[in-house]
Amino acid sequence: MNETHLVEYLSRASEHFPAMNNIYRPQLMTVEHIRDETPDVRTLRLAFQDKAVGEEFAFIPGQFGEYSVFGRGECVFAIASSPADRGHVECSFKLMGKVTTALRDGEIGDTIGFRGPYGNGFPLDELRGRNVFFAGGGIGMAALRALIEYCLHHRQEFRHITILNGARSVADLVYKEDMARWAEQPDVELVQTVDPGGETDDWDGEVGFVPTIMEQMAPKPDDRVAITCGPPIMIKFALLALERLGFPPERVITTLENKMKCGLGKCGRCNVGPVYVCRDGPVFTAAQLQNLPKDF
Amino acid sequence: MMCRMLHRDKLTAWLEELSRSGRRLIAPQREGNDAVFKPVETVDDITLDYVNTRWPVKEWLFPRSEPLLRYRYVGSSVELEQPDLGLEPQVIFGVRPCDAAGLAILDQVFITDYEDEFYTRRRSVTTVVGLSCTEPAESCFCTAVGLSPTSSEGSDMLLTPMGDDGYLVETLTAKGKQLLWEYGHYFGAGECGSKDLATKAIEAKMSRGATLAQGIGYSEELFEHPIWAELARKCVGCGICAYVCPTCHCFDIMDDADAWGGIRCRNWDSCAFSLFTQHASGHNPRPEQDGRYRQRVLHKFSYFPQNYGRVMCVGCGRCVTDCPVNLDIYAVAQAVLHIHDELHIDGKSHIAGEELHSEPHAREHNSLTSSRAAS
Repeated sequence: MNETHLVEYLSRASEHFPAMNNIYRPQLMTVEHIRDETPDVRTLRLAFQDKAVGEEFAFIPGQFGEYSVFGRGECVFAIASSPADRGHVECSFKLMGKVTTALRDGEIGDTIGFRGPYGNGFPLDELRGRNVFFAGGGIGMAALRALIEYCLHHRQEFRHITILNGARSVADLVYKEDMARWAEQPDVELVQTVDPGGETDDWDGEVGFVPTIMEQMAPKPDDRVAITCGPPIMIKFALLALERLGFPPERVITTLENKMKCGLGKCGRCNVGPVYVCRDGPVFTAAQLQNLPKDF
Repeated sequence: MMCRMLHRDKLTAWLEELSRSGRRLIAPQREGNDAVFKPVETVDDITLDYVNTRWPVKEWLFPRSEPLLRYRYVGSSVELEQPDLGLEPQVIFGVRPCDAAGLAILDQVFITDYEDEFYTRRRSVTTVVGLSCTEPAESCFCTAVGLSPTSSEGSDMLLTPMGDDGYLVETLTAKGKQLLWEYGHYFGAGECGSKDLATKAIEAKMSRGATLAQGIGYSEELFEHPIWAELARKCVGCGICAYVCPTCHCFDIMDDADAWGGIRCRNWDSCAFSLFTQHASGHNPRPEQDGRYRQRVLHKFSYFPQNYGRVMCVGCGRCVTDCPVNLDIYAVAQAVLHIHDELHIDGKSHIAGEELHSEPHAREHNSLTSSRAAS
């Protein structure tokens, strides 16, 4: 290659590259269905506008996505739908900041962006053949919903399923329709609880914080995995409760939710020590958390 | 590796020809008291009179602000457009060895797991011509992080001043060889070994030698140690240390739009800012400056080594000179290393008299060899 050729080659370098794989480019999704779970939690059902991508799309329960409103920004939510539900994803979000306000203002038919799936997901092999105890608080139930749906879809692979669903008040309990459906399944036990003061006159569930009710239920740690998602303060006490119940930390699983931007282990803000929540998490065992700095 | 000599008198002529080769030539030029990298209009503007440039070279591969996506609103839908990277072949001349090594570190970040082609495509059309140092600044400490004033990592071609004779020219990569091949008539025979003396001469002028190259081992006791509050007390959280750092790569992604469409843009960001980690709920894992400053130091000297096998600092000293409250990362890292050794060499914790249960470990059993906590 002589000099002229080289310079020509370099000048056309961008043409010589195959189409750029832009890791920040979202898929376009159509809002197909909106369901209000609570006064401030909403679930969106999103259809891939590119049908081929939608058919190919697969994820592990516990993985998350970057959802975006064009002009407002991106936000991280768990993928809350069943992995068996092809061509769609569902997310639940709580009205909180700029992007969730814009999402809340949206309507059926709107186009939003979605990147994912990101993160590690729940360790399904650890769960198979075991009893599974789920404890979710508030919108923390979103990540668990994908996993519960997975377990019910592959029912024979899992043993007894217990679901503890907690919220501040009766009105704040998420996934009421799903809970009713799950409770009807054979060998599934559902317990719902609300924080003291959050009960109504006709409330027939438990009253008490999730960790307290957990200890009252006293699930046996034998051959059982406990998975808990919720606000940081609930997780803190839920992990202590599970420790007291005798669960080994390797069989206690939770998720961390740190502020994220890229979701790809590059932008540098979700790290807990050397671990990036977006890339190495968001799912961790209590044993793993014990070795990490308390930086979450 | 091949070595050649470039006679001092021929440097300008070579740069002149290079600037007309169809590549964009970027080189240090005067801006007030500073030297800054800018595209060259005339080679007379190029300065060789600088210890280091005002800003690291990273912005020519990882701009301070760049669109990741363009979009237009079409009814209730959206059309996406790939932003034009404006890729053109470029030669960056005069990059100090510390800055060039910084690029090697950024390479690891942007290529690992998910390739960030915004960075890697720019990198692939860029030829880095390094220029070894002859006069270190007081703040320089490249030798403490395993580099040297003449180290070649990250450069495609490296020029090392050899007194009045001119420059020893090392070609280190295919891109460097290409330059040598194209402009062979400027370069005479050179002796690779002659660089050693030059290296020794300048290293002898550097006072900050104690090693940080092995990083700092992580322990919970170190993380919780009161030294962080002590060290960070004067940090004002301005973030300049990240902006002038050749290796800092944290970024924010935000949308900027009007009624017709907009861009999704990434901007340099800094762990020194309070909003950096604040959740929408208001919860902040690092609510105080000491936690944020600890993140900066441990990311560079403990976490990054665990992930990528080297410290994330090249010893350029910019953050030392630019810090408005005189926080000196070299001194800070030495202090933290000292605490680490106190905590762990004798296997005892000095925090509140508690006994530490971990095994005593010597300096070489540092974070570089420990496995990741969770992977």
